[in-house]
Amino acid sequence: MSDILEVEAVSKSFGGVRAVDGVNFRIAAPGVYGLIGPNGAGKTTLFDIICGRQFADSGSIRVAGRRIDRLRVHQRTRLGLARTFQECRVLQEETCLDNVLFAAQDKRLGREMLRTFARHTAPPRAVMAEAARLLDLVNLWRSRAEPAGNLSYGQRRLLEIVCSLIAQPRLLLLDEPASGINPTLLNMLRDFLQRMFAERQIVLVIVEHNMEFIMSLASHIVVMHQGRVLEQGPPAAIAASRRVIEAYLG
Amino acid sequence: MTALFEQIVNGTMMGAIYVLVALGLVLVFGVMEVLNFAHGVLFMTGGYLCDVFFARLTGNYPLAVALTMIALAIAGMALERGVFRRLRVNVPMQIVASLGLILMVENGAVLLFGPSALQLTVPTVRSLVRLGDLSFTVQHFVVIAAAAAAIVALYAFLHRTRLGTALRATSQNAEAARVIGIDANRIYRLAFAIAGALAGLGGALIGPLFLIFPQMGDLPLLKGLTAIVLGGMGSIPGAIVGGFAIGIIEAVSTLFITTDYRDLMVFALLIAILLVRPWGLFGVRVRGDI
Amino acid sequence: MRPRAGAVPLATGILFAAAVYLSPVLFAGSPYVLFLLTQTLCFAIIAIGLNLLLGYTGLVSLGHMGFAGIGAYVTALLMKYGMASFVPALAAGTLAAGIVGILAGMPCLRLRSHFFIIVTLAVGMMLFLFFNNLDWLTGGAAGLPGVPRPRPFDLGFTLVDPRRPVGFYLLAATLFLVVFVFQYALVRSDFGRSLAAIRQDETLAASRGVDVFAHKLTVFALSAAIAGLGGALQVLFLRAAAPQSFGFAEDINLVLIVIVGGAGSLFGPCLGALLFVALPEALRIADVFRMVLFGAALLALALFAPRGLWGLAVAAIGKLRFGKSAAAHVGHS
Repeated sequence: MSDILEVEAVSKSFGGVRAVDGVNFRIAAPGVYGLIGPNGAGKTTLFDIICGRQFADSGSIRVAGRRIDRLRVHQRTRLGLARTFQECRVLQEETCLDNVLFAAQDKRLGREMLRTFARHTAPPRAVMAEAARLLDLVNLWRSRAEPAGNLSYGQRRLLEIVCSLIAQPRLLLLDEPASGINPTLLNMLRDFLQRMFAERQIVLVIVEHNMEFIMSLASHIVVMHQGRVLEQGPPAAIAASRRVIEAYLG
Repeated sequence: MTALFEQIVNGTMMGAIYVLVALGLVLVFGVMEVLNFAHGVLFMTGGYLCDVFFARLTGNYPLAVALTMIALAIAGMALERGVFRRLRVNVPMQIVASLGLILMVENGAVLLFGPSALQLTVPTVRSLVRLGDLSFTVQHFVVIAAAAAAIVALYAFLHRTRLGTALRATSQNAEAARVIGIDANRIYRLAFAIAGALAGLGGALIGPLFLIFPQMGDLPLLKGLTAIVLGGMGSIPGAIVGGFAIGIIEAVSTLFITTDYRDLMVFALLIAILLVRPWGLFGVRVRGDI
Repeated sequence: MRPRAGAVPLATGILFAAAVYLSPVLFAGSPYVLFLLTQTLCFAIIAIGLNLLLGYTGLVSLGHMGFAGIGAYVTALLMKYGMASFVPALAAGTLAAGIVGILAGMPCLRLRSHFFIIVTLAVGMMLFLFFNNLDWLTGGAAGLPGVPRPRPFDLGFTLVDPRRPVGFYLLAATLFLVVFVFQYALVRSDFGRSLAAIRQDETLAASRGVDVFAHKLTVFALSAAIAGLGGALQVLFLRAAAPQSFGFAEDINLVLIVIVGGAGSLFGPCLGALLFVALPEALRIADVFRMVLFGAALLALALFAPRGLWGLAVAAIGKLRFGKSAAAHVGHS
């Protein structure tokens, strides 16, 4: 049985700086994984490499045993990888509902063109129902006709996460989902993520700086420092680890 | 062999002009991500103003050139404040605004100066330099020297002064520069001022060699745009290499092919290079580039 | 994305088609007006092509008339030397333009936005230089005179003769409406939604599974083909092909038609074409002062009407009908 995600000896440099330096880790089972580390530890770069926004200088990435390092972003998405962005990206001009429906749309070019002259351009009922359910769970159903640009920052984050989930990914990478969110929405976010995990048994990998948030959510933490994996383990062990504390303070 | 050398000198001279235009374009683009298609009319205005300052006011060519540069720097700042600051995010409208400006200024020049071209006769155009069998006007070398001086001055400004460093910082990472406290609007104004001055210098320098006419900025603009794409869109060294390369290649190729095919060749060369290096010769690969 | 304020309900569509077809009747006494309207239709087709690329996908192509020229010359050559009848010749021209579009798109589309603008300008100029210099094929600067009009069509209940003004107008009107409907279908489709996503945020679109390059290349080819169709039609109308019709000034003209009319809207390119064909003869007899005013008008438009004239019209109507708040929502149609 191959691992869900296997990152092996991945390195990436920018100019003279090694942003990611020989990172190894594996995810063998569904779960909520936290990826933490001080600023500049290489977390977002690693996400970029896993999702295809950047190519590693060396090393390999495997999803379910299959090498994906030369695949482009959209190809990896179609294999079941999804991500949210640190800067929170949604289609600002489109309504919330349209954002979600678009995320669910079958975007293979050939199929899209064939559907152009078909009679109905409405999405399948099942997709509409799921979109409605997910939006409702994060309290955005009532804003469904609002352009996403009009939402508050926290709401946009939730929308972005709903969009990444509707396409039924196997592996969802969340880049600082809790940043800039007030405590009320934060609880909603935590509940939502726990619920999604319970429903679908997917792999969630979450980069976070909000320790309380990530420690309460994750079953396994990976700590990065200066481009390398410093330590891995359950939250309690990581919280108690001297090396981790020194990395943050030092 | 002499023919080749002659064309290399000509090419370096035209290349110097293209570099002056390209530098203005690349500075503004690097700092604001704005492509100022009206840059050609700044160049043209430089030519006309220099004529006014020289022939009608001072009779002193270097002084006229200096005054032209100052006037165009001010014009550049006015453009930034009045037009381009607002259009930073709207690329199609940058094009429309630029076209509007081109129409206004080119036709305005016809209204003010008449449709026929002006001739700017300065001493440096009348005296010649002989190199072996060839002769060039002194102005040829004035152009090259002035452009070289401008490049050195620009380099010194960007790397040795605080303001220049602030400009470079904004060009590399606008967000970070803002965080440090650099006033972006001030930098935009500065970039446009320098761009205007350089364009004005170009027009003032080329005026005596060729005629001064309303459309004189069109081709240099096109060549300048080609140069910055060739060199890499945010890269100053790229603009310099690109400008000289285009000037020299153009000039040398007149020995073999006709004018139209020469232009074709420059464009084909541009596309060929971009096929291999989509971010230009000196450009930087940006996150997300394939 | 979902059909919203901008969607053209069937009734409006029928009215529009009727207006287009009935114009010759309205302007029967005025051959000059009919001439201008036919010109407008040709430009509108080309503009719709560019609009798909510029307005809906956000790719500013500054050399697009080159593709119109490909369609024009291919069709003109086939018709002039009797090598094909109207429909195959037109199809060949459209297809040729589409193929050149694919060839040009492959290098250009890998480039980032501002690079792309300049390189498409270079491509357009290269195409113009070919038209202007390949004397043995294109007639060079003198162009290709003597392009025949299509033969009359027997529709059963009537005969349409494109050799006469009204007949050609009806032919042009039909092609225009076909292209218009095509634009409508494409824009409302899932493919159109992917294009809109690409325009707003390419990185996000890719992340959601859109093959950005393939989509861009497809719309580039389609937009080139449609431009080719318009160019071919125009050349048949004028009975001659000339390289000046596809040069730098015309490239700029086309971009203005789309942007000033209102990029990213269904009717914007049509409005722009109407404006730029109706104003023109007046402006082309270069009254210098009028050009200065025209330039000022463009500048004012750029600064104060970022959605073009169609956007202004829509906002104005929205304000009139629903009051101030609605104007903000009536937008991207």
